[in-house]
Amino acid sequence: MGMLWTGMRERKHFKAAVGFLCLNIIGFLCFTLGPVLLSLYMSFTNWTLRRSVELQWVGLRNYRELLTDSNFWFFLYNTLYFMLAIPFTVCASLLLANMLVDSMQLKRRALRVRIASIILAIGALNCTFLFLVGRPDPALILAVIYAGAAAGVLWGSVSYRTMLYVPSFASGVATIILWQQIFNPYHGMANNILGQVAQWLNLDVTLPTWLNSTKSLLGFLPLPETFSSGGFGLGAREAIMIMGFWMGIGGNNMILYIAAIANIPQDLYEAAEIDGASGVGKFWHITVPSVAPTTFFIAIMATIGGLQGGFEFARIMTQGGPAGTTTTLAYYIYTKGFVEQDLGYAASVSWVLFAIVFSLTLVNWKYGNRKMEAAT
Amino acid sequence: MKKPPSKDLVRRGTGLSLKFLFVSVLCGIMFLPFIWMICTAFKSSAEVEGAHFWPKLFSPDNIRIVLQMIPDPFTHEYVNLSLLRWIFNSFFVASWVTALQVFTSCMAAYAFSRIRWRGRDQVFLLYLATMMIPALVLTIPRFQIMVSLRLVNTYQGLIIPSAFSAFGTFMLRQFMLSIPQSYDEAAEIDGAGHLQIFLDVIMPLARPGMITLAIFTFLGNYRSLMWPLIMIKDAHLRTVPIGLLAFQGEYGTQVELLMSATLICLIPLIMLFIILQKQLVRGINLSGGVKG
Repeated sequence: MGMLWTGMRERKHFKAAVGFLCLNIIGFLCFTLGPVLLSLYMSFTNWTLRRSVELQWVGLRNYRELLTDSNFWFFLYNTLYFMLAIPFTVCASLLLANMLVDSMQLKRRALRVRIASIILAIGALNCTFLFLVGRPDPALILAVIYAGAAAGVLWGSVSYRTMLYVPSFASGVATIILWQQIFNPYHGMANNILGQVAQWLNLDVTLPTWLNSTKSLLGFLPLPETFSSGGFGLGAREAIMIMGFWMGIGGNNMILYIAAIANIPQDLYEAAEIDGASGVGKFWHITVPSVAPTTFFIAIMATIGGLQGGFEFARIMTQGGPAGTTTTLAYYIYTKGFVEQDLGYAASVSWVLFAIVFSLTLVNWKYGNRKMEAAT
Repeated sequence: MKKPPSKDLVRRGTGLSLKFLFVSVLCGIMFLPFIWMICTAFKSSAEVEGAHFWPKLFSPDNIRIVLQMIPDPFTHEYVNLSLLRWIFNSFFVASWVTALQVFTSCMAAYAFSRIRWRGRDQVFLLYLATMMIPALVLTIPRFQIMVSLRLVNTYQGLIIPSAFSAFGTFMLRQFMLSIPQSYDEAAEIDGAGHLQIFLDVIMPLARPGMITLAIFTFLGNYRSLMWPLIMIKDAHLRTVPIGLLAFQGEYGTQVELLMSATLICLIPLIMLFIILQKQLVRGINLSGGVKG
């Protein structure tokens, strides 16, 4: 009797699940699972966009070729190197979110308006003075800072969240072209500022040539010949990582963290305060463990995205150069598939990439789940 | 007589001021590239290569050129772009994708987080696994499917493949897992079915997650490059990134024109984000758990 009841209940649940899932499953089969299987088939063939070549089953030839392809290992190294920036970006996002989660508003509106107008007045005087003595550039930058401070006092952290999110949602073709110009070694903004700082500090340094340089921060390692390392220093990869940091710090991760921190019950903090916890202590012992599910989600997404990333930057900024140092596996797949039209080989590279992503995510999943169970 | 402010209040005030100072300076640094971009948009072409930000001669000519109000001074021809059309196309496509994707993902996320059924975790792992497949790989077979459905070079071809997303399902599932089970258990005891629990209990509580997903999806599609690049052949169907890329190809050396076009493309997005940001913040504060 009990068994029958459970069975009926289970069937009812199953029917409901089918109802909720049907639309999504159909789309999933047509536009995700179907294409996946087709591309898996491609990786065992010599599939190409050239009409003259006959389609042939080549078995594991593509995969064998790939393991001895020195380019593949070089581009895998590049991809992993770019991913070294991820933990820094995520930590910065969490710190920013923790800072911006409370409203940062003074209680009385009249007081806010007064302080904001004082800031604006000082800013106006300061900037006008700088402008009149013929230094419009610092005046411009200070004007933005003063305006940001005034908006912050008036509307609280909402205005900062909005401002910090701007680089992330503006990212795309346009901002990548913008950064390409910024890293121009001769008239770009990066070297202009660095040059002025060096002059001010009386330092005699050669400025990095950014996107034209094969140097890297790990260039001191004894890397193989084929990795075209230009030694220790700032190069094209660092330029792209700086751009990535700029785009990522106030973006989706920060918004996810703000949502997560806002959902932490306030009484946890109150209890910790009674126990005499400091600000750092509260952050470390309450905030960090409480947002663990979000960190877990971000870690998984960042691993997946990082291993597949780098296509847009390489395509728009560097064409994978100099000497292949900014070519990631995604860009390699693109050039193999669409430029050299060797779709079968490109598919096999992507399946190896998938194997790497999948195993890393499994590790993440096992380790993350265990950590979360320990925390609760 | 006025009481002097307590030590605690002074300390808090200093902390808050330092916080304001830090974040304001950070915002200033983050905005440097944009300041540079805006300044460049108003520079004359002779001035672009200079080290300074502020243009010596502030002129809106570049803006007027890219809006096709005046011809390019060098070629004496109107530049080949239609910014407003691109912006409309991007908004149209991204809105449809967002609406469809949030709808399908929300339903699927409910099935994955709230209903217990056999094989649930296996199917979910399959979803998760396909999320790791590089998008470039899916692009080729997807394109062939769109060819056989005769949807190449249409709006539908841009919208339909993106209307279903494993990412959205995953995100909303994680969000729904953080809603206490006791809510729907209580509703179930009151005799509510799954549809009712979904509509009346979970959907309202998952709204912040849905809004976040909607923003992600909208922005992702607004700036998506690869898929429209393959699908769209006609100039009148171009979205903003495709248009800008073509513009860069044609007028790549004229940075000042490119920056003006970028500036105009960014304005509607910024306005939209300010509107959505308010709603996001309002929805985020899910207060308390189950009470009494």
